Amino acid sequence: MAENNCANPVWPCAMTGAAATLAGFPDLCVILHGSSGCYYYPRSLLKVPLFSTYLLESEIVFGTIDRLHAVVTEIASTGKPVAVVNTCVPALTGEDLKTAFSEETAMFVDAPGFCGNAEEGAAKAFAAMMPDIAADRSGVNIDGINLLDLFWRGNLHETERLLVLLGIPVAVRFCRDTWKNLQAGAAPVTISANPSYASGVGEYLGSMLFLDIPKTVDRLLTLFPNIDAEVVLAERQQVEEQMFYSCDKYLRKYTPPVVAVAAQESYAVFAKAMMERYFGSDVPVVFARDRAAASVPYSVNSAEINAKIAAAEPDLILGSTFEAAACRHAAFFGITPPDRSRISVAARPLAGVEGGLMLIEGALNALMNAHTAEGKKQ
Amino acid sequence: MPENIYEARMAGCTLTGALSVACFIPGAVAVVHAPQGCVHQTFSILHAMANESDLWTVPEILVSDISDREVIFGGEERLSATLDTAAAKKPDLIVVVTSCVPETIGDDCGVICSRHPYADRIVYVPTSGFLGGSAKDGENAVLEALATHAPVREPVPGTVALIGEKNLESEADQNYAEVERLLNRLGLRVTVRFCRNCDYATLMQLGTAACFILRDDRAADAGKRIGERFGRPVISEFPHGLSGCLTFLRAAGEACGVVEERIAAAIAEETAYQGSMLEKFANLSGTAVFLGAEPFTGTAEVAREAIARLDMQESTDGFSIRLPFYLPIGTAGVEKMLYLWRRTVNNG
Repeated sequence: MAENNCANPVWPCAMTGAAATLAGFPDLCVILHGSSGCYYYPRSLLKVPLFSTYLLESEIVFGTIDRLHAVVTEIASTGKPVAVVNTCVPALTGEDLKTAFSEETAMFVDAPGFCGNAEEGAAKAFAAMMPDIAADRSGVNIDGINLLDLFWRGNLHETERLLVLLGIPVAVRFCRDTWKNLQAGAAPVTISANPSYASGVGEYLGSMLFLDIPKTVDRLLTLFPNIDAEVVLAERQQVEEQMFYSCDKYLRKYTPPVVAVAAQESYAVFAKAMMERYFGSDVPVVFARDRAAASVPYSVNSAEINAKIAAAEPDLILGSTFEAAACRHAAFFGITPPDRSRISVAARPLAGVEGGLMLIEGALNALMNAHTAEGKKQ
Repeated sequence: MPENIYEARMAGCTLTGALSVACFIPGAVAVVHAPQGCVHQTFSILHAMANESDLWTVPEILVSDISDREVIFGGEERLSATLDTAAAKKPDLIVVVTSCVPETIGDDCGVICSRHPYADRIVYVPTSGFLGGSAKDGENAVLEALATHAPVREPVPGTVALIGEKNLESEADQNYAEVERLLNRLGLRVTVRFCRNCDYATLMQLGTAACFILRDDRAADAGKRIGERFGRPVISEFPHGLSGCLTFLRAAGEACGVVEERIAAAIAEETAYQGSMLEKFANLSGTAVFLGAEPFTGTAEVAREAIARLDMQESTDGFSIRLPFYLPIGTAGVEKMLYLWRRTVNNG
């Protein structure tokens, strides 16, 4: 069993993932049913209003239902919809928490931290939402928007921009939309900006990560034969030429960078493929935070990830500053939280046409800065 | 536990407090019996703090990774396995803390720790997440548990131990430097920082200090018991405010048996030093300022003393200046606060 021990785990728990998913609806009041210690982390990470029952030990002993009822009742009196996210201890004590409020008053998401990672929490939140499909709703849903994602705002803007170019209306954004819009029903088809946060709503047509765009647009064409696909594909083609041009310039001076990648599975696979395609890179280390994929092992064990990265002696790390901190000589571009190498407040995409450019631009600048620093040192 | 129910509800988790102490012992390993997510939170905070300090090194925290399976079948095996991993590193010390989950499912962590082959180097602190109290209680519990391992010794004259420095505050080392500067005026030296970047062997010298100085009343519970255990005087907090520095010099000097002449000379030197520091802000004289809300008890008092010393006025129509979030420590803390005031007054 010892091999399962984890040192410095790099990924949040299910409760945080569920809260992040629900908090994407600003008109939904999200209550964390737990202690202040559980509340502070998602509150500081997400930077959006969250509520809590701030449980005390005595309430665990004598029951938390009265406290939950009081908090839900007070918040529901505002007339806004309410969601309750459960945490570890109230999930263990066997109380029937759903008796604290009616189904009409609040939605209950049982996502204690011990049940899994952030993506599993997000999945539980989606399961509790059970959004209806409105067969007559036009357009497509945008999936894979999550407040935990460094690029969620940029991804949303970029995916919406591409859909505007295609002439396809947006139905529901999972999850950065209004609760009211969700209640109107989701469209029957969905595309994603980050497939690691999958809502499971509607027929999934594909991702809008740069390399996936042609296939996804093809599938959209089968359902929306009158869309202007060429405008998006032409823009993508032009951008790809720019990427090859910029990378060719780099490769005239330097050998292809050895790259280490650690991110959610969707971004990890994407980043690896991009570095191989445009830089001709060797990517000997790839770790997925949320789930394993073909040739991409899963790990949230910082010690394991950092040891593998150090052994590979990469020129570039695409991951979080957890990895960058352990391998200071390598260039770094942040694609997964936390990224404490920079102030990140603007909307930067990793999805879409601009997202592809953002990754290549970020990698190139990081590599060039590292070469400059090395030159100065010498 | 705080007496005020609102404070109790907002008091945070013992794990964060406990790890804010246990992770700052070089050569030790922190083991947490908890789900991964609990440790991720603290690891993220430590990472952020290290990044702000440009340290880029974060202590390793081993987590037993309680999941659905352990919730049903018990998590003692997981703790035992994690202790094996920790022991294989042959650390000077293993500090074991627990979250609310093993407390709820009934794991007997104390027995697992005491029966482990590495037991003589294991300090088990049953923090129990929020079920064991607040973040403050977690800090105090680890401080106290570690202190019980330090043998009682004869005090070495002229030595001081600092207890309960706030390892998660970004200016912890600057505050330490200021306290050290003041103690140097008395000919005193800090031999143990209990627990900030002192290895196990150094921590075990706690009993040789002639006097203990607490960071503030957050460490009061542990400070009281540690003072009783070793029979030493305990100064309750780092100095804050201009006059507070002078009071601190007298208290520390007397607690350590420094002769009166030396104490008086130290106070005179510091008074002159404060005077020259205040001269830099002479242009603030006559300026009216508005302090606004007090974010931390005691900061307004420190600010008002500086206002009086600089012949400034307090008025709701004055420049709106922001009080520091933490108590400004020592003369240097007041100086930093005044730089911020001057920036506001000069630039609007």
